[in-house]
Amino acid sequence: MTLRYVFSELRTGLRRNLTMHLAVILTLFVSLTLAGCGILLQREAKVTTNALGSDLQILVNLCTDKDPSLREGNPNCSGGAVTAAQMKQVESVLKQSPDVSAVRYQSQEQGYQIARKLYPADYFSGPTPIIRVQDWPSAFWVTLKDPNKTAGVISAVRGLPGVSHIKDQHEQLGQVYSIIGSLKVGSWIAAVFLLIAALLEVANTIRLAALARRKEIEIMRLVGASTLYIALPFLLEALVTAIIGVALASGVLALVERYGIQNGLADKIHFLPWIGWGDWLHAIIGGWPVGILILGPALTVIPTLLLTRKYIRV
Amino acid sequence: MIRFEKVTKKYPGPGRPALDEVTIDIEKGEFVYLVGSSGSGKSTALRLVLRELRPTSGRVYVAGKEINRMAGWKVPRLRRQIGTVFQDFRLLQNKTVSENVAFAQQVIGKSRKEINRVVPETLEMVGLRGTADRLPDELSGGEQQRVAIARAYVNRPMILIADEPTGNLDPTTSVGIMKLLEDINAAGTTVVMATHDHGIVDQFTKRVVELGEGRVVRDEASGSYGFQH
Repeated sequence: MTLRYVFSELRTGLRRNLTMHLAVILTLFVSLTLAGCGILLQREAKVTTNALGSDLQILVNLCTDKDPSLREGNPNCSGGAVTAAQMKQVESVLKQSPDVSAVRYQSQEQGYQIARKLYPADYFSGPTPIIRVQDWPSAFWVTLKDPNKTAGVISAVRGLPGVSHIKDQHEQLGQVYSIIGSLKVGSWIAAVFLLIAALLEVANTIRLAALARRKEIEIMRLVGASTLYIALPFLLEALVTAIIGVALASGVLALVERYGIQNGLADKIHFLPWIGWGDWLHAIIGGWPVGILILGPALTVIPTLLLTRKYIRV
Repeated sequence: MIRFEKVTKKYPGPGRPALDEVTIDIEKGEFVYLVGSSGSGKSTALRLVLRELRPTSGRVYVAGKEINRMAGWKVPRLRRQIGTVFQDFRLLQNKTVSENVAFAQQVIGKSRKEINRVVPETLEMVGLRGTADRLPDELSGGEQQRVAIARAYVNRPMILIADEPTGNLDPTTSVGIMKLLEDINAAGTTVVMATHDHGIVDQFTKRVVELGEGRVVRDEASGSYGFQH
């Protein structure tokens, strides 16, 4: 198939409807950026959950050798580090509680590795590091059936020997999760409205382009050009606008990652883990939800396919 | 080559059908005039051959294939076997004469080499030597219709459909166009021409199929326009 015609039509088409294409590109750019932000926020929530537990969880820290709670006069740790028997007892109390849905053990080493990701590297290095493996408590992550029903579980284990400290994630992380959650929902709602606007603009652009080309299209149909051949300039136009929109949005998301997160929030807020370039790539390429690299072209190419069928019906 | 079998075409809305149980048989290599007053169903018949329309009932065969049952994706291939010429030429004003003719080849994927060979040859055949680089606006009506014929014929179709090809032309120019269509017919292409042009039909005697209110009212192997029945 000679594609010379297709590419020359693509050039003419982009030039002819320049302002419409610019409108589509800008709308796509903003909406994809918002959708990308939504994905990044979802990733942030996931990273935080992985490191700190979801707000359905309670963390039951077990005693270490020189447990800090001794200073507050915690009698549970007076016997030194938690023993296997104590651990077993705590676990069985937790598992018997009707409010508990799951219990997961986290060793000192596992906890230490998570801490390394959260705190600056100099906490862990040097001749007398601030944090050492033996200082980090082993723990039980307790998942509750209802995050509001923490009291029963906490009171059941609080006095047990070997239990150093109990952290209610709901209390601590609830706010963080609710902020991330509302930002995520907000950016997705805004993205949906803008994406609808982008769809309508794409539809208008195709209508105008089909009108401008109606004579060519009529002749092509009569001389037996295939529907695909007739539709190809439209599809390529849609693809080009989508690619530009995706590129701009990816750039802005990269700036958000670099200056907003890595050189911004991550520098100032240490108690939360932060998303990295892998998560940025995820927002672009995606999995579930689909990344903007798929979303952008899908938003322009699919309506183009549907509408060109209508306007250039063979 | 073209066969209508009891073809009825009714458009939505009240009123009589545009074609009413029409049966016509056109052999390969024939030259047929389709005559009749406005609204008699001529254009509907031509559009049925191109599969721009489907009959309400009955069957349309083109080159041995029943085209109303043809899958949509096969329609372009059917149309490559049919050239079409209109009263208003329908040329692309921003393209030169040779670009207009080449367009019909480009869009069905012919190679540049083939286009460079066939387009000048076709322009020469229709009597447009030396006009290749001119724009349609710079040509007379007769010349523009020759460009349209060149475009319809450049892919060497089996059938040429001409809808009032002389409708916008003066009698002398019309004769030239008719001669050209005769040449194309002589080279083996079946020509179906819808026309109101009495002079042409009477001067170039051919088979005449007359439609009246959607029915075939006359089919004469060698007829004239003015036949009264």
